[in-house]
Amino acid sequence: MLKYTCRRILGMIPTLIIVVTCVFFFVRLIPGDPARLVAGDQATEADVVAVRVQLGLDQPVPVQYVKYVSGLLHGDLGMSLRTKRPVTEEISTRYGNTLELTFISLIWSTIVGVLFGVWSGTHRGKWQDYLGMTSAVSGISLPAFWVGFLLIMAFAVKLRWFPTTGASSLSSFVLPSITLGISIAAVIARFTRSSIIEVLKEDYIRTARAKGLKEKVVIWKHAFRNSLLSVVTVVGLQFGFLLGGAVVVEAVFAFPGLGSLLIQSVNFRDYPTIQSLILIFSLQFIIINLIVDVLYAVLNPEIKLG
Amino acid sequence: MSEDKNLKTNPVAAPAVSEAEKSDIRTPTSEIIRKFKKQRNSVIALIFILFLLLISIVGNSLVPFGINDYDYSAILQGPSGAHLFGTDEFGRDLFSRIICGTRISLAVGLSAVTVGAICGTILGLLSGYYGGFLDSVVMRICDTLFAFPGIILAIAIVAILGSGLYNVVIAVAVFSTPTFARIVRARTLALKESVFVQAAINLGASDSRILFRHILPGAIPDIIVQYTMSIGSSILTASSLSFLGMGAQPPTPEWGLLLSNGRAYMVTTLHTTLFPGLAIFLTVLSFNILGDGLRDALDPKLTD
Repeated sequence: MLKYTCRRILGMIPTLIIVVTCVFFFVRLIPGDPARLVAGDQATEADVVAVRVQLGLDQPVPVQYVKYVSGLLHGDLGMSLRTKRPVTEEISTRYGNTLELTFISLIWSTIVGVLFGVWSGTHRGKWQDYLGMTSAVSGISLPAFWVGFLLIMAFAVKLRWFPTTGASSLSSFVLPSITLGISIAAVIARFTRSSIIEVLKEDYIRTARAKGLKEKVVIWKHAFRNSLLSVVTVVGLQFGFLLGGAVVVEAVFAFPGLGSLLIQSVNFRDYPTIQSLILIFSLQFIIINLIVDVLYAVLNPEIKLG
Repeated sequence: MSEDKNLKTNPVAAPAVSEAEKSDIRTPTSEIIRKFKKQRNSVIALIFILFLLLISIVGNSLVPFGINDYDYSAILQGPSGAHLFGTDEFGRDLFSRIICGTRISLAVGLSAVTVGAICGTILGLLSGYYGGFLDSVVMRICDTLFAFPGIILAIAIVAILGSGLYNVVIAVAVFSTPTFARIVRARTLALKESVFVQAAINLGASDSRILFRHILPGAIPDIIVQYTMSIGSSILTASSLSFLGMGAQPPTPEWGLLLSNGRAYMVTTLHTTLFPGLAIFLTVLSFNILGDGLRDALDPKLTD
């Protein structure tokens, strides 16, 4: 087990190096002179030079790269052009909010998704299945920003149950996490359904039924436990997408998280912050994929670890 | 089965197969069409998509108002006989703007996914067939692209290239390429070992003939399903980017942008956000339902 985990972590290193390099070249890929873009139209030549020095773009590329990587290793992500504060500071104040939002969304969407999936899968071809899968395909097709607006209209403006924006109290997490979780719940429901349908074809299900077990026990103890494997994989992968999907939802609710920071930074051309956020989003994603892989191996006795 | 028996036991009767019996002959294509027709939802979705395509071609010349017809005497009016979906903050007819936006959303979705599908298919075929160094490079690139979750990659690309619809198309195309590459590569690896491909190799067929005449047709069903599914998600991603201010710029009647404009007035008027969102939802939904139906119809393992 430990050996497998270590091998997976080592296998991550090339991807990490490539991702860091891609993110490094990010600012250098911008057509034209990024320093001039940042400085703006009215900037004097001296301003542009100052920005170029600030971005470290006045040095040769290999020197910049070494500086960037050593900065990363020391936890230094540079200075935000927008707020003139260290990017790490900007990010750390908002990271908790995004993480909390993501977790809440993941938890409710997993519960709802699994229930819908099992319900549909065990009633294959009946109205329950039809209802469940129609809701699921609708959930995948809903634009998050639209759902967010409709929820704000109904529950924040008309009924005044929840605040429209912010992350000050737990109640301000309710509407964003509903918006964020809908598509994930839908994806989980679809996977759970097909996995349950596969498992229900197995011989041991027939045996369980033949020996007179209650249908509830057959479904939850025999069928669901065996389909859990694919559910875990999907949930894990969706976690990464949730972190990305949070961008749109945070913009709708003016939620003080990493996503809204990314939008602000893109609009302000705050390249050091954009760069760091993209790096963080992809790092999280890589680490989550690793955890899912290891978890999959732990849960699946059929996988031989060599 | 019955026509088989007919042919064997009674060869004389074979030429006299009636028209009715002819339609009983099952070919792979007719099987797929039959399976597809059984899914009523998918058929409806297909009809709706054809209708959207028609609108996107002729809609612009049929709309009652121009997309930039300002009318300051009719600002933010609710739905009425004259303005089916109401008017926006400049008194422009929302119905006309949404109809004209169909062309934009479909064009963005279709062109981005088509580019992604072509690039991904070629990369997948080559890396699956030749393997070795090329394969490692292509798969490493895919891994890297996959390491940026969801919309983040698209935002990163737009941040580099600048805002605008064309850049959104490029971003979404890049974003959808690795999935096609993975799917086609997996299919290529499987088909490469199949007897008919090995036979073609032994007969001395050229690599391009093997790839495009023997392997590619086997991958087409996977590509079609992924293509349909990707159009839905691409339209969603593209409209999200426009909503965030990184895609279409005013006064383009792009759906995501219409919704974003409507947000300022949403407390007083619902229709400015309701109808553009509904347009996006129904379009994406019909592509996803069609994709589901095609997947079930094209999967030979699924029997009824």
